[in-house]
Amino acid sequence: MDPVTIDTTKFRPVRKKPETALEKLEDTGLISTVLAARERKGLIFLTTVDQVFNWARLSSLWPVTSGLACCAIEMMAVAMAHHDIARFGMEIFRASPRQADLMFVAGTVTKRMAPRVKQLYEMMPDPKWVISVGSCANTGGPYHESYAVLRGVDNIIPVDVYIPGCPPRPEAWLYGVLQLREKIKNEGYGAKWGLNK
Amino acid sequence: MNAAEELKQALPASVVSTGMQVEKPLVLVKKEDLLEVAAKVKEMGFDHLSVVTGVDYVDRFEVIYNFFSYGKKENLVLKVVLDHEAPEVGSLTSLWKGADWLERETYDLVGVRFTGHPNLTRILLPEGWKGHPLRKDYDMSVEQFVTIGEDGEDIVSTDGSNLLRRK
Repeated sequence: MDPVTIDTTKFRPVRKKPETALEKLEDTGLISTVLAARERKGLIFLTTVDQVFNWARLSSLWPVTSGLACCAIEMMAVAMAHHDIARFGMEIFRASPRQADLMFVAGTVTKRMAPRVKQLYEMMPDPKWVISVGSCANTGGPYHESYAVLRGVDNIIPVDVYIPGCPPRPEAWLYGVLQLREKIKNEGYGAKWGLNK
Repeated sequence: MNAAEELKQALPASVVSTGMQVEKPLVLVKKEDLLEVAAKVKEMGFDHLSVVTGVDYVDRFEVIYNFFSYGKKENLVLKVVLDHEAPEVGSLTSLWKGADWLERETYDLVGVRFTGHPNLTRILLPEGWKGHPLRKDYDMSVEQFVTIGEDGEDIVSTDGSNLLRRK
């Protein structure tokens, strides 16, 4: 055999299993600047588009202005200066669901209100999240045996965070908001690769 | 002499009995004479009809009227007993305008029919709801759902298929 000729059938590139986040990112081949980033370590801010989006989303959640019962009074307390939901970029309660990406279901969802709540949710643009606040919205609460009340708002729309209480204190409310922020932070591919740390 | 005794003296034929409902004078009235008695009650200065309620006692219905006088600061309670098969009583809308919605509510939830009412339709529940929920024989095992129709009207159904996420 001619020693110059290389038998390509026996050549198999060794593929290292990606371990670090950077290697995993390289492995996808999605972002071509990764190699450049490796050469100039520290000069390029390296993230995924997902993580940037998540950060932007969780930093300015705009809730839709809707209150169904007494939990809405607590919602007002959360929005006011003492508890100050503006610390989380949420001070703008939008009057239109078209401009909102978060819905607090704050109160009793009656049978007659249920299709309206569902319609409000469907009018919100994606991505959207729902926080169910209080016993009534979670399970029907004290009205569980009633003919006129829906047994939990999760029967009609998907819920991300449930806040228990009747009604929940503003502190509980803020804890629920923090849980939702944690959830949004862990959405998408970036979180799967461990880039959300 | 309280308002109940006063009413009994004025219309002895229409009043069945008098008594006290907690701290309010109570008059039990024959249902045929209700309008006549109510006119006298209004004449006595009870200008505010605050509550109309119905109670299902299985063998009979009772409709209870709570009156208040802003001038005399007095309360008065009228009560009529109705047949359980076909509960029907005269409407007080001609005397107190506020009776309109109160009687509609009683019709909606208890199913008492008020003859002479200008618009006796459901007020809290949507049209098409089956049964009157505050009756003892209301069927709680059948769940009813409301959806919105093409023109914004309420549609009552028992399956809720276009409202619920999962069946």
